[in-house]
Order: sequence, then structure tokens, then C-alpha cells
Amino acid sequence: MDKAISLKNVTHTYQANTPFAQNALDNVTLNIEKGEFTAIIGHTGSGKSTLVQHINALLKPTTGSLNVLGKVITPTTTNKNLKAFRKQVGMVFQFPEKQLFEETVIKDIMFGPKNYGATDEQARHSAEHAMKLVGLDHSLSNKSPFDLSGGQMRRVAIAGVLAMDPEILILDEPTAGLDPRGHNEIMDLAKYLNQQQHMTIILITHQMDDVVNYATNVVVMDQGQAVKIGPPDTIFTDLDWLRKMQLDLPSSAEFARKLESAGIAFDQLPLTVNQLVDRVAQLVGKKAAHE
Amino acid sequence: MQNIIEVNKISYNYPERSLLFDNLSLNVREGEWLALIGQNGSGKSTLARLIDGLLVLKSGAITVDGLPVNDENINEIRNRIGIVFQNPEDQFVGATVEDDVAFGLENRQVPREQMHEIVEKSLKSVGMWQFRERIPANLSGGQKQRVAIAGIIALHPKIIILDEATSMLDPQGRNDILQLVRDLKEDNHLTVISITHDIDEAAGADRVVILNQGQIIDENTPDGIFAQPQRLKQIGLDAPYPAKVIEALSRRGITSDKQYMNDEELIAWIKQLVSRM
Repeated sequence: MDKAISLKNVTHTYQANTPFAQNALDNVTLNIEKGEFTAIIGHTGSGKSTLVQHINALLKPTTGSLNVLGKVITPTTTNKNLKAFRKQVGMVFQFPEKQLFEETVIKDIMFGPKNYGATDEQARHSAEHAMKLVGLDHSLSNKSPFDLSGGQMRRVAIAGVLAMDPEILILDEPTAGLDPRGHNEIMDLAKYLNQQQHMTIILITHQMDDVVNYATNVVVMDQGQAVKIGPPDTIFTDLDWLRKMQLDLPSSAEFARKLESAGIAFDQLPLTVNQLVDRVAQLVGKKAAHE
Repeated sequence: MQNIIEVNKISYNYPERSLLFDNLSLNVREGEWLALIGQNGSGKSTLARLIDGLLVLKSGAITVDGLPVNDENINEIRNRIGIVFQNPEDQFVGATVEDDVAFGLENRQVPREQMHEIVEKSLKSVGMWQFRERIPANLSGGQKQRVAIAGIIALHPKIIILDEATSMLDPQGRNDILQLVRDLKEDNHLTVISITHDIDEAAGADRVVILNQGQIIDENTPDGIFAQPQRLKQIGLDAPYPAKVIEALSRRGITSDKQYMNDEELIAWIKQLVSRM
């Protein structure tokens, strides 16, 4: 597989050369393949947001370099000529509905493509396609985005990013504050974009159940460092280490631990409901075979 | 137990919208922790705003601690109710943490000396005294909610309403805030109404009321409510974890007579299944 993102010894210092200098990223080296669904986890202040802001060059490394879709970003990279690059790396910030501003839904979604030089007609076409992707009914096009529900507003904001047809989509806690239905809709959208549209997805989240249910790859951040990288089943193994990282266990792993205390053994800690139930069914089935 | 809030046959609609509440009644008992659940748009937050007199009823009546909610009583009522909103950013007025907590007291013309004492006590009770000179904007989400709660505690309310107050926090922050409110509730004999769509938050309540499209469709203990995971799903809420396991087991042909079990019951049942020869 091709690399979508490659960081080499990236350090980012906030307020460099002042007494307040603080390393938000500390010598991070990591690769993300094209088409992967990567979850970035870590407690508040561990460097997750700083990391993803480098991926679309909103922040430049203090030292080290990145290669994102062939574009090399170094400490001396300037904001000149970054426009074409940023179109390829879509960024959905936390509470993106706060950035809605146009008088109609369709105008708000068209803003991005037009900003990148699309004609009205092209932009409208992209916007309508993006609305379909996020499941917004056509009839909402001419409504004010501010008359919509919270979940719908968030989808308008995400459609505004998708209308630019990015190759990489970064989602910074995209479901925070949504009700469970809204949560599932957004997560299923991310899955669809990844599996059907082959978009590379980067998800910052605090919800470990989303990590095990959706991600193929996990980056654990702690004190500005990428301390563990790998598929979900390699991340949730060392319980003491997870506690030290202030990370929760997925619900099924948590429940399996309680079952273990009650004397039911697991060869491997289950991470999803299906994994847990498969093991239980296996144990029950085995006994049944002896009867 | 006595009712501290009585919502009696109220009707309400937002301007140019159809009726959200039509003849809704609900009592809140003094000292209870009531979870009000329902998906976005079900009317949970609107109800809180009507109780606090932030919105005006079309018909019906609400009394808070014996006082009818009306223009005359509005200040008294707001002294008795503290609301913690979803987004702490929206509720800061002070330049420093200390100023922010003092704001409500200044508004009520509390003498200066007394004010210092109350601010100190309130900030200490939420574990934020050492942050008193900080700028609220530079605090974490959980810290901001603590400061917001300190501002409420300073006014000695009888009722705290958490309006999705933990939904923007990470899991650690959420647990910390809920524990803090539980402690404050005990120490200050408060009544708590928590408006939430977080099933785990509702699980800690004494009583759960489900609001759907402006109507109360059920009220029960948390276990009683969770016993119908299908209905929770139908109205867009998450099923509690044990319900998901029970459903997945039944898809594999392992079924129980019971519709719902809590964690302990489910563990006991699985143990029994596995050990049965």
C-alpha cells in the first residue's frame, strides 16, 4: 500500500524561544497508509489535535518533516501554494457547526469548492453530491443552516468539507455532544467514506468503542509522543499500561474482565460485543457437545 | 417525599412552531436525582428553561419550591435553581475564575467580605481554589464546568439542573463532574435534574423519565427503563451494554426468559450457562 502520511522526527514547540516553550509534539515518527481508518487516542493535552493540524499544514513542524500525499512540509514551508494541497486534506474541527455562516445550507456547502476556484455550477454539483453523502435531504438546500437540529448542522459542516472531495479526511471528535442516533450516523458515514469512497480517515476520539468498531489502525499519544501504533487488538492488551495512559477499555473488554473475575476465562481479551459473545457461545457449545 | 417542582398541565410552543408540550405534567421530588432522557429535539432543555422561567408558558402552571413561576417570583426562583449548560464557554462572564464565581453574588448585592468567603468556599468545594487567578478560557472543559458549578453553589440553590453538562467532556472529565455533583448533592441536600442522552449518566439516577416529542412516554427506575432496550433504540437512544450482549447471544441461539439483566445478573447467568453440564 502507498503511504498517505509520513512523519519523520516531527517536533512542535509552542511559544518557542520564550520561557513558556512547551513541546506539544516530541519527535514523532509514524506512517499512515492510504485507505486506512486511523484512530488517534490519548488523554486531553497529549498532542492529538496538534498532530492532526500538521497533516494539513495548519501548523508547521519546529523540527523534522512530513510527507502528506507527496507534499513535503518542513519548518520552512510557507503558506504560499498550500491551497491545492489543503483541498486534498479535509479537516472537520470539533463542533464544526460553529463555523456555519451562510444564509442557506447549499451556499454554506458551496463555499469551500468556490473558494478553491470552482464555478457556481461545479460548486453546486459538488455540494449536492456532498449532501447526499451525509444524508441531508435535498429539500433542506434553501433553509438557513441555523434552523436545523444540532445533528443536521454538524452534517452540513461535514458536507462543506466533503464538497472539496478530499483524499484524506480528518475528524476531530466528530460526535461530541450528539445524541446516540446522531453519533451512529456520523460514525457510519466515516465508515462508508472509508470503505466505499476509499478515503483515508483520521479520527480523534475519546470513545474506545468507536476505536474497536471502526478503526483499522490506532495511534496512542502521550506527552506529545506517539507511544504505540498498531491495529486495535494490539493496543488493548496491557491493562496497566492503558491505565497509565489514562485510557478507558472498550465496554466489551471491561465486561470481559468482570466475567474473568467470575471465573470465565478468555484466551484473548474481547474488544467488541461480537468477539465477547462468540467466546461465550463457544464455551456454552463445548459443554453442550459433552452432554 | 415532598414535590419540589410541580409541572401541571403545561402547553408550550416556540413562535411559529406547532405545540411542543400539550398538557404535560411532571413532579420532581425533593432530594431525588431525576434523569430526563430523550433524543435531541424531544423537549428536555425546553422544559428546563420553562422551569427556570427563561421561557414563558402558553398555558398550565409550574411551581418551584412552593412558588408559582411568574414575573413576580422570577428572582426568587432563579436563586433556588442553578443550571449547568452544555457548553461552559457560553456561561463565563468574569475575567478570572474568582471574578466569575463572584459575579452572581455581586448581582445579588452580597456584602464584599461575605463574598470573599463564599467564593473561597465554593471554589474549594469543586477543587478549583488553586486556579482562582486563572483566565477561564485557558481551562480544560472539565475545569470550566467545575467553575460553572462553583458559581452555582455560591448562590446556595436547592435544585441543580445539568443540561447535557457532561456531553462535551472526555470520559474521565464526565465521571469526575458526575461524582462532584453527587458529593455536592449529599453535602447540600440538593435535588438534581440531569438532562442527558448518556445511558450511563441516567443509570446513576433515582428515577428516569423518557421524553419523546414533548411527551413523557415512560418513567421508572433505571433498571425498569433499561428493561426495554428495543424501545430505547426506537426513540434514538442507546441500549445499555448488557442489553447489547443479551441481543447478540440470542442471535446465536442462546436465549433467556428475562428481557433485561443488569451487569451482575448477566454475569451470573453467563456463568450458569457455561458451567451447566
